[in-house]
Amino acid sequence: MLSRVAERLYWLARYIERTENTARLMLVQHHLVLDLPAPIRPGWDLMIAVLGTREQFDALPGKPTEKNIIDFLFGSRENPSSIMSSLADARENMRTTREVTPTETWERINSLYLSVAQRGARALPGSSRHKVLNDIIQRCQQITGMLAGSMNNDAAYQFIRIGRNLERADMSTRIIDTASARLLGDREEILPYRNVLWVSVLKSLSAYQMYRLSVQRNVNAGDVLHFLLQSRIFPRAVAHTLHEINSSVGLLPRNRDALATLAEVKQTLDGADLGTLKGNALHTFIDDVQLMLDRVHNSINSTWFEPDAQN
Amino acid sequence: MTRAVRKQAIDWKQYDPGSFYDELISSPGYARAAARGIVSYLQTLTEKHLRNRQQAADLAIQEMGISFTVYSEGENIDRTWPMDIIPRIISSTEWRRLEAGLVQRLTALNLFIDDIYHRQRIIKDKVFPAEIIQSSKDFLTQCVGAKPKYGVWAHICGSDLVRDSDGTVYVLEDNLRVPSGVSYMLENRAVTKRVLPQLFSRHSILPVDDYASQLFDMLTSLSPRQSRSPEVVVMTPGIYNSAYFEHSYLAQRMGAELVMGSDLVVGEDDCVYMKTIKGLERVDVIYRRVNDDFLDPEAFRPDSCLGTPGLLRAWRAGKVALANAPGAGVADDKVVYTYVPAIVRYYLDEDPIIPNVPSFLCVDEQQRKHVLANLATMVVKPANESGGYGMLVGPVASRAERTKFAELIKKNPRNYMAQPALSLSTAPTLCNGRIEPRHLDLRPFILQGKSHYVTAGGLTRVALRKGSLVVNSSQGGGSKDTWVVDTETR
Repeated sequence: MLSRVAERLYWLARYIERTENTARLMLVQHHLVLDLPAPIRPGWDLMIAVLGTREQFDALPGKPTEKNIIDFLFGSRENPSSIMSSLADARENMRTTREVTPTETWERINSLYLSVAQRGARALPGSSRHKVLNDIIQRCQQITGMLAGSMNNDAAYQFIRIGRNLERADMSTRIIDTASARLLGDREEILPYRNVLWVSVLKSLSAYQMYRLSVQRNVNAGDVLHFLLQSRIFPRAVAHTLHEINSSVGLLPRNRDALATLAEVKQTLDGADLGTLKGNALHTFIDDVQLMLDRVHNSINSTWFEPDAQN
Repeated sequence: MTRAVRKQAIDWKQYDPGSFYDELISSPGYARAAARGIVSYLQTLTEKHLRNRQQAADLAIQEMGISFTVYSEGENIDRTWPMDIIPRIISSTEWRRLEAGLVQRLTALNLFIDDIYHRQRIIKDKVFPAEIIQSSKDFLTQCVGAKPKYGVWAHICGSDLVRDSDGTVYVLEDNLRVPSGVSYMLENRAVTKRVLPQLFSRHSILPVDDYASQLFDMLTSLSPRQSRSPEVVVMTPGIYNSAYFEHSYLAQRMGAELVMGSDLVVGEDDCVYMKTIKGLERVDVIYRRVNDDFLDPEAFRPDSCLGTPGLLRAWRAGKVALANAPGAGVADDKVVYTYVPAIVRYYLDEDPIIPNVPSFLCVDEQQRKHVLANLATMVVKPANESGGYGMLVGPVASRAERTKFAELIKKNPRNYMAQPALSLSTAPTLCNGRIEPRHLDLRPFILQGKSHYVTAGGLTRVALRKGSLVVNSSQGGGSKDTWVVDTETR
């Protein structure tokens, strides 16, 4: 299989996943804003921090108003990880890999892209927000399901699976990082709402229901962190995504470096005692996990996407 | 009171191609021998029935994703391939002769190209003027002295055939660079099988399906290594190319990788490698659908990002086969075309089986005078364009257009040749639910490697607009499935 094709499939999966995750994050934020009293209501500003697009946003002329931020996250072409940009990238990657992907998925992604593109850069009023975002999430899940359900489980699919899981791990760590920075500060006024906020963190990763099923205690910081980072059974938990990546990498040729990197990440993650990590220590830990995820990406990139660099 | 009658799709007595030669009907009401089955079958259908079949075909084409790309108003538009459901019929007796003529022609053209890049005997023997080569932009000095396997440079050739009103078939042009259309020939047959299966029982039709495997065998025969399974790849300029559908189609059918220039790298050892997830893998044969100019930025256009640096070096070193070989386009020049009959005689000592359309070279003063005096009845073509661009069709051009072209010819006579406008043959075509005659041509594909192969029939292109002679899909042309019908064994 050509390196170029492998790389595009990997990014295709990442962008579809990113679209879904961004839409979910916005949806949860939308509901949270409605639920909480004004003084502690988290601003939309937070979204920009979570998605790591502060620089791009500040470079634009607009003020950080709710409307501007939503436009920036949804339809903006200036924001490389807006829903619009992610979909455009996903579509372009699929357009160039149509030989190896099922025809119906191309049609799905194309129509999803067109429906978002038709809304234009600034068109997500509060009244339609829930419907539009929910629709995007469902259509992304449909595409992910079609790929899983109809592709040969050969190298091509492994790159899709790796991309999807690495993107999930990336989003989970981002959300945990931002949330914990706000919630573990023990600000007096937050205390009564802590529960609501941790629940919203779980919801951002569509983890609430599964958390309840798996952890039969009240929602608390230690348990949530353990569930989202170390659970082996929850699909968006970082440990689970790494396990998925590991099993895909195991099926690919020349996988020694990538497997070694993955083993290191796993060791670090499993060994962490999350109950004792607080404040800065937690932040540093999440930072480390993110850097390790970057190393996983780099190792995949140099092994399979740029083979001439090392031959 | 009038009684309701079943509305027939066609009363062949009413079908009148006029003075044109019709491929299916010899005179109103009478079918040619090879076409009797289909002509009588169509008579049993109602107009509605026929329209339904055309709709079924259009739908099948959409579902199968058969498309072509047109560049228009700054955007690439993927258009559904237009196909008329009534096949074009050729008798096997006639086809055998045409097939021999096409093989003869390509054999001679390959001898010519090889000679031009080596000793140039044909020039020394004064059969072919040296000036034409010196002024040809397709003669590549970088290729002089190269030795492609079997001495073959043009491995895949698409020659356009047309039939005049007296029934004579002529070669209109030879496409030796990156001829396209063969995938549509294959898909047209697949669509006809889906929507008109009844027709196949009425005729004995030669199959076209084996083209991809013939192409693959020909390509593997070019491999520089004695490996049992050489690595063959199809090289495409990318998804924005108008023939991308075909590149991807042929790659799939041959089980070959579809690569772009950036997927390949030429090593210190002059071998070509492709970048795969297993590392670098050596490539033996490249079926390239990238034009010469863009093939190798090291040897040709330095601004090309479609090619692979060093490709020409690898080819010259004999480490990789390129099909078609760079430089083969020297024989795909409308001025060289006029010499093909002489070329056939010179190298093969045979008379050409299929004649050329009589042609006038504007570079020759006598001939130019004739062209300029008769512009209204001539078709003027630039030497190096394809796709029907930059042409003047005298009979339908305005006075202003003719004046403009006369100036162009006078300014750069080497760049133009002219032919009398032929009365292209017609075939019954479904137009808005009615069967009417429309003009058409035929592009068979000829392969030459270790041996020859000619497709059974080829791609028939049809001008869908009434009276139009322009068959190019980019300019309102459609296509037909083409049947070579066995008329001998009964």
